[in-house]
This record gives sequence, structure tokens and C-alpha cells, in this order.
Amino acid sequence: MPFIHDPEFGDRMITLMAALVLVLQILAVGQRWLMGNIRIFGLQSFLLAAIAGTIAFFNHANHVYIVALLTLILKAVVLPLILARLVERVGIQKEIEPLINVPLSVLISGCLTMVGYVVAESFYHPEETSGVAALGRNTLAIAIALFLIGFFMLLNRRKALTQVLALLSMENGIFLAGISLTYGVPLVIELGIFFDVFVAVMVLAILVYRIGETFDSMDVSKLRRLRG
Amino acid sequence: MILLWLLIVPLAAGPLAFILRRRPAMEAVNLTAFAVVLCLAAALGVQVVQSGPVSLWDGFFYADALSALVVLLSAFIALICSIYAVGYFRQDERDGVFQADGEVIGALGAYKLRKFYSLTPVFVFAMVLVALANNLGMLWVAIEATTLTSVFLVTFYGTKTSLEAAWKYIMIGGVGLSMALFGTFLTYYSAHRIPGTETLAGLNWSVLAVNATQLDKPTMRLAFILILMGYGTKAGLAPMHTWKPDAYGEAPVPAAAIFSSALLNCALYALVRFYILANRCLGADYPGHLLLLFGMLSMGISVPFILVQRNFRRLLAYHTIDHAGIMVTALGVGGPLGALGLTLHMTFHTVAKSLLFLCAGSVYQHFKTDLFHKVKGGVIHVMPLTGTVFLMAILAIIGMPPFSLFQSEFVILRAAMAAGHYVPSVLFVVFSTGIFAGALVHVGGLILAPADAAPVVRWQPWRNLPLLILSAILVVIAFWIPPPLFRLIQGAAVIVASGPVVSAR
Repeated sequence: MPFIHDPEFGDRMITLMAALVLVLQILAVGQRWLMGNIRIFGLQSFLLAAIAGTIAFFNHANHVYIVALLTLILKAVVLPLILARLVERVGIQKEIEPLINVPLSVLISGCLTMVGYVVAESFYHPEETSGVAALGRNTLAIAIALFLIGFFMLLNRRKALTQVLALLSMENGIFLAGISLTYGVPLVIELGIFFDVFVAVMVLAILVYRIGETFDSMDVSKLRRLRG
Repeated sequence: MILLWLLIVPLAAGPLAFILRRRPAMEAVNLTAFAVVLCLAAALGVQVVQSGPVSLWDGFFYADALSALVVLLSAFIALICSIYAVGYFRQDERDGVFQADGEVIGALGAYKLRKFYSLTPVFVFAMVLVALANNLGMLWVAIEATTLTSVFLVTFYGTKTSLEAAWKYIMIGGVGLSMALFGTFLTYYSAHRIPGTETLAGLNWSVLAVNATQLDKPTMRLAFILILMGYGTKAGLAPMHTWKPDAYGEAPVPAAAIFSSALLNCALYALVRFYILANRCLGADYPGHLLLLFGMLSMGISVPFILVQRNFRRLLAYHTIDHAGIMVTALGVGGPLGALGLTLHMTFHTVAKSLLFLCAGSVYQHFKTDLFHKVKGGVIHVMPLTGTVFLMAILAIIGMPPFSLFQSEFVILRAAMAAGHYVPSVLFVVFSTGIFAGALVHVGGLILAPADAAPVVRWQPWRNLPLLILSAILVVIAFWIPPPLFRLIQGAAVIVASGPVVSAR
């Protein structure tokens, strides 16, 4: 299969997968079920791992393989499992109640994607990128869009667990930006970031559990006793 | 080598306390560990002042005067607060704070104390790592680690409000830090044209600072905004400050004192590192104006909240937001004088603010409330020592002349005037006056109100000793700063103003 070694092919694959990641993010905005949301996050992380693997393959960057593998294990399998178990343990309403209704949310996500393109345009210099499979500006724009939509989701949701998912999808956006700009940061740092994200999810899971226990609800809009 | 020990000692003390379980043993581990860290930090300071920056593992860890100053302040506050914590939690135990209904007496308390004494050293380790990490990615990892290790200190008492505070702390902090991570990646990207930056050292601050003029400018602009928002959230700059009064008000007082002084320094330290890069790459105007904007906003927002505040721990938290604003303003003014103002203010604020929190803690434990109107009778009559020290510290922190914070604020103001920032200078004075009035009226009323009761509080060694040490230092530094410390502060200011020193004395 000679076409596999063609950088052009790699380019297209990456762009295609990045586009799918964006589609999944917008699906997550419209998703009403918590479990569905967790699955979308897992799928998105799987695609990111695939993108990282593709980049590693075409640029012969061995350390990116490790990053891809870690993403696959940690973000596509372990974190979704932890979150799914948490949903069962807490066992309260699984439906997400966004503040802004779904059609409008999707529309806002579309606008944020455009913002991503405008921002990416302003500082991306493809002619200077040295890699074989130079990543299109699409990937960077999508990464920024992921970050912004994740932020919007965070503001738009009331349930503690769904906010955690939104935060994680923001992190996915940053990850995509990192690998599309510089093929990721040095491995030691990447490992540190993975470790921090993992610990953060554990800490958040404990907090979510205790909030659910103490307040009999995961609705963080009920957390408003501290003011002024 | 000294850098490694600075990290190993607190990191080992956490698990050790966790294993030992018994309260006296955990207290001893904490006290010893922090005493050792303080000695090491002092040794590091001396070494940096005498023979320039120290580095380890090809510059993975790196300490110049600025890092040494931050490490020294963190270590000092950690030791003082651990002494105070011994007395504070023993009092809590006597008051039965830990006993939930139907619980085996003491079991819950033992569990909570174990949590505190094993998490605090790890938290201190993360703060030391912030100051010693040369790699900007590692810096981010360390800052995130300070959040993660301190969340469960905020939820220490396990009340509803403390869960709420912890949730805000970690969510707002998480969003902020994700911006900072994005900014860090962009900074790395902006260096991609400089040869030799593909390796691990490519993210090293000392490497980037030397090559700062070659960084890609548009990328660096975006990166600096993200970093300012990100680490600004961690420092509690307005409008990302909302977690701060909650977390400071809910955390046990020894932890809150560390948050308000040492942790604030760490967040500002990260911001300063990126400011130095941006300053050298983009010129002083771009980062300077952004910093002035956030500084003024933080100072301005804290004024009304201080004026109408009903809770004295939250008042102190808003006060910290104000001081974060002052320090960011100093950084924004820049230049040798502004930088000196910043490092001086950082030192003075650390001493005064931790003292205030500890005083507030003693008052809170005695009166069992942190609301002004529920405290019956003047503190100075009921608790003569705490009351006196509290009054002195509040006068110091709002900038009364004999105290050192007046000097540093005056330096900052002079630098701002000299640099032609007239509008910020005027606002600076206006806001400071508002806070002066608000804090003095509230805390003055709390302390000096008439009381019919005779002094009732006995000498409490564990809690009074830290107060006395801190207030002695506060008085001394108003008139005389020990020369080695002053040289360290000056050295740090030089780094802030003009980047890495190749041949420091």
C-alpha cells in the first residue's frame, strides 16, 4: 500500500479526524444524556490519539507515539470508565439541563468555531513548519474552537459532572493545539501534564461524590451560600 | 544538590506523616520538615546572593534571586503556620469541632488531622517546585499541583459551604490553568524558529529569556494574554477572583494563611517569569498596559466589598485581592523602581498578611464566629496580645507610614508617576484610601470596641509564639532589612526588570 507513506494522505487523514473531533464536540453540546456525553468524550479522545499516532508516523517522531498511547489508555478508556462508575455511584438524575436550549447552543458553537478560524489565521505560519506532514491551519482552528466550545459548555451547564466533562474537553482542545503546533511539548512535560489531568479528575470525582452526598443533588447552581 | 533536598524533604514528609498517624508524631514531622526546608531555603538564598544562579540536571531546576526569594518566603510561612496549626487544631479538638453526631469520639478528628498534616507538606513541595522549575511546562504542572493538593485543605471541615468553596476553587482554577497551559504551548511554539529548541531545554525559561528577542511576536502576544488570564486566576486578579474569598474563608486558618501569602507569591512568580519574556520580546508597553488594567481592576473591585464586608476572614481575602492588584500594578509599571517595589511588597505583604490571618484565626476560635457583629466586646480587652498584634498588622497592611508596606507602596507609586502613568497613579491612591478607610473602620471597631469582661484568654504558646515572631519581624523590617535579605530582594528586582543575570554577584 504505497499511498500510506504519502504525506499528502497523512495530511488529509489528520484533517478528516480533526473535523470529526469538532463534530463530536458540537454533538456533546447538543447531547442530553450524561452517559452519552461520557461516550462522546471517550470517542473524541480516541480520535485525538489517532491524530497523534498519525503525526508520529509521518514525522518519525517516536516520543509522540508514547503520547498517543497514553492518550488512548488514559483519556479514551480509563477516564470514561471512572466517570461512568461515578454516575452509577451517585445515581441521581442523569439528564443534563443546559441553561441555554440546544438549538441556540449549537448555533453559538458554530460562531465559536468561526472565532477559532479567525484567531488561528492571525498567527499561524504554515510555510515555516518543518514537518513532513505539515498540519493544515484547519487543525489549529479546530483546536481553538474545541477550547472555546468547551468553555461555553462549562458555563452552560449546571450539573457538577457535566462541568467536569466540559473542562476535560477544553483540555482536549489544548492537547490538539499542542500536537498540531509543535508535535507536543517534550515528553517529560507531557507526562507531567497527563499525571496532573489524571489526579485532577480523581479529585473532581471525589468532590462530585461528596457534593452529591451532602446536597442530594449535583446541581451546582444550588451552591450559592457564599456571597459578598 | 541543595535544590534537590529542598524538594525531597517536604515531599517525603507528607507520606511519612500519613504513615505515622499519631498526632504528636505528625506534628513533629511537619515542624521538623519545614524547619529543615527553611534552613535550606536560607542557605540557597545566601548561595544565590554570593555566587549567582544555581542549576541542576542541565537546567531542569534553576534558582536565581527571584526563585530563592519566593522559596524563602514560602518556607518561612510554612514553618510559622505549622507551629500555629498545632495550637489551632488542639483547640479545635477541645472545642469538639470534629465530633459529628453518632461518630466515635476522636475518629473523625484523627482522620481530618491526618489529611491536613500529610497534604500540607506535599502542598509546600508543589510551591517550592513552582519556584525551582526552570521548564515552563514543569512550572505549569507545579502550579496545577498546588491547586490539587490544596483542594482538600479547603474542604477540611467538610461543611456544605466548604464544599461549595472547594468546587469554585477547583473549577475556576481549572479553567484558568487550562488557559495558562494553552499560553505555555503557544510560548513554546513562538520559539520554534530558534535552533535547538526541539529538546527538553527548549521550554526552559533561562534559554527562552536569553533568546526572547527572536520569539515570534504575534504568537507571544496571544500567549501573554492567555498566561495573564491563567496565572492571574490563580493569583486571584479581578474579574477571576470570585473563588478567593470563599476558599480563604472556608479553609482552616493555618491553610488560609499559606494561601494568602505563599501561594499568592507562587502565582505571581509564574506571571513574572512570563512577563520577563514578553517584556524582552514585545517591549514594555504591551504587557505593561495589560497588567496595569488588571491591577487597577483588582484594586478597584476590592474596595466596595471591603467597605460593606461583614465577615473578617472574607475581608482579609478581599484585602489579598487588593494586594495582588498592587503587585501586578508594580509589575505593569516596570522599570528598576517598579520591580523593586514589587519584590519589596511581596516580602512585606507575606509577613503582614499571614500575621493577619493567624490573628483572625485566634479571634475566630475564641468567639466561635467570623462575623463582625457577632463578636461581642473589643478583642483587645478580651485577648490583649492578639488584639494588639491584630491592630498593628491591620495598620501595617493598609499602609500606615512607620510600617514597611507604606514604603513599598510609595516606591510603586513613585515609579508609576515617574513612568508617566498618571491615571493609574491617581486611581491607586483613591483605591488605597478607600481600602484604608474600610479596613480601619471594620477591624478597628472589632478590636477597640468597649468590653465589660476582663481579659479571659490565657497564654497559648503554640498560637501566640508565631504571632510574636511575625510581629517582631514586621516591626524590625519597618526600619531595617537584614543586608543579605535586601540583596536578595534587590537581585530579584534586577531579574524582573532586565531579565536573567549572567554574572550575578
